[in-house]
Amino acid sequence: MQHTFASSDGPVEVTLSKQGDSFFLQGHELVKDTRGRLRITLQSGHVHVAHAAKVGDTWWVHINGRTFKWERIEPGSSNAQDEGGLVAPMPGKVLEVLVSEGDKVAAGAPLMVLEAMKMEHRIVASTDGTVIRVNYRAGDQVDQGASLLEVE
Amino acid sequence: MSIKVLVANRGEIACRILRACKEAGHRTVAICAPNDAGSLFTEMADHVVMLNGESIAETYLDQQQIVAAALNTGATAVHPGFGFLSERAEFANAVQAAGLTWIGPSASAIEKMGDKMTARQTMRAAGVPVIPGEEVEEDDEAMALTALREASERVGYPLLLKASSGGGGKGMRAVHAAVDFDQAAAGARREAVAAFGDGRIYIERLLSDSKHVEIQILADQHGRTIHLGERECSVQRRHQKVFEEAPGPTMTGDLREAMGQAAIAAAEAVDYVGAGTVEFLLAPSGEFFFLEMNTRIQVEHPVTELVTGVDIVREQLRIAAGEPMSCGPLMMRGHAIEVRLYAEDAANGFLPSIGPLAVFQPPEGPGVRLDTGVREGDEVTPNYDPMLAKLIVWAPSRTEALQKMRRSLDEFVVLGTTTNIEFLRDLCDAPPVVDGSTTTTTIDDVWPEGWNPPSSPALEEAALLAAASAETLGLHRTQARGPSASSNGPVSPFNTLTRRYP
Repeated sequence: MQHTFASSDGPVEVTLSKQGDSFFLQGHELVKDTRGRLRITLQSGHVHVAHAAKVGDTWWVHINGRTFKWERIEPGSSNAQDEGGLVAPMPGKVLEVLVSEGDKVAAGAPLMVLEAMKMEHRIVASTDGTVIRVNYRAGDQVDQGASLLEVE
Repeated sequence: MSIKVLVANRGEIACRILRACKEAGHRTVAICAPNDAGSLFTEMADHVVMLNGESIAETYLDQQQIVAAALNTGATAVHPGFGFLSERAEFANAVQAAGLTWIGPSASAIEKMGDKMTARQTMRAAGVPVIPGEEVEEDDEAMALTALREASERVGYPLLLKASSGGGGKGMRAVHAAVDFDQAAAGARREAVAAFGDGRIYIERLLSDSKHVEIQILADQHGRTIHLGERECSVQRRHQKVFEEAPGPTMTGDLREAMGQAAIAAAEAVDYVGAGTVEFLLAPSGEFFFLEMNTRIQVEHPVTELVTGVDIVREQLRIAAGEPMSCGPLMMRGHAIEVRLYAEDAANGFLPSIGPLAVFQPPEGPGVRLDTGVREGDEVTPNYDPMLAKLIVWAPSRTEALQKMRRSLDEFVVLGTTTNIEFLRDLCDAPPVVDGSTTTTTIDDVWPEGWNPPSSPALEEAALLAAASAETLGLHRTQARGPSASSNGPVSPFNTLTRRYP
């Protein structure tokens, strides 16, 4: 059984092996108990009950006080990474646009000021580059994930 | 005396108040914006009035609509909770003008304390020490910025800019050097205008290495004003508290008495009635300075309740009804800690997050209290404050309370929305938290580059195993929770009647 998940270091391929009711990965063992909870025995011998829930394509897993998110990549789908795109971290309103198309910016330079939940958030350049697109003006409402500007 | 209380609030604090009313035998009315329909608090009231409108201004801040809802449902009293209209003097007046009881202090007390610049002047006059600084009474943008800049030179750096109508960290900026002043002042003014419709800013010297210590007070209409000891709430991010405890880890009996008496003097200076909180900065020298008075129930009131045994909301109801407060002399016992669970990404500058609460499973056990306004299946939206819950623990000692908090946070499962649970758990291990030397800059001091979750490769692999197995098993297609009825077939409980249990 093979699955692919997204991570910050690129896609992770997972190949599970199955024996009886148990799944194995890198020496850790998982058994589904009767109520759909997942009993995991780590390679170290520690036993934990994990909780898992899928929202959209993402599996959320809680185990021993830690919560992890693994976004599943459907077989055959392309891994569209938007290089240099700066997206709204949450829905809000554009208060101020600090740059124009063609401006050279350094990594960390403030590009735009958003207001959300009555707090101001600065959108900053993640790399050195040139602003090639500004998609919103002051006063515009933006949705979460909206592409605000592009820096190349 | 039985009253009928309209709760002019939502979420967690509405639940807290509605429950207290039910316990006291009072009938209740909830108000609710259309986008709050079906929220937990609406299920706890005898009546629910759906407000017309979409924005907060059109709903929870619409005084006329709320007073009309109270009159139409036969409510006799209004409890404002915190935030929203709780510190609007004109709302207190409107409620009383409509013949309703206002569960809170007088409009004039709210006014004197609510405008932070007036409050500083009132406290100076009452002999309560205030933080060195200057108030700038100037509405015109350009003139205000000039006056602030001049004042900044007299106050000195580092300094804090604060909105006179402020609260919750909005319109507040720390400025460490003159070169940053103009941008910070313009930003603070803009945020203050947006949040409060009042851009007036004052300057305080930034006292570093200070603790935020506040005194809970209660005053009834029979001339009695008491304090319920302190809470330490130093640990803050974005000037909002996330970790609060009582008693303060470094508090002494003498200092508690001195701060308690200053808080009582502050309350008496404005003829205060009801529950309120006087906030102080406690400097390393042991000097303390008045910060502000919150003329309402406070988010972190549960820690005081757990160590004093006083139900503060029940006392508010009693006091508003004209009864004497029921609590005797101050008795503090054991230690209580509260953490605020936010839907936010602690690893990404504490940015608020949204999403479904696909799983919301709070911890349980002795000494664990949860105050929340959400339950599993709810959606976290950007419409309101991202606080999901307050988790409060009590134990005989501070060490045991921290141990209980760690255990409780480890048990708390929230899936579908990013929360600060892991950050709070990590905070419980931070040296200043462990030894009680927390200050208002603790989070920045411990994580100067920002917080990141501790690395644990084995758990990460195990989570990957869980995700891949759950996908293989098709758990997302069968994810109806609750005990499965089919496991062993029905067993008659009467079969157990003759059994002996060890």
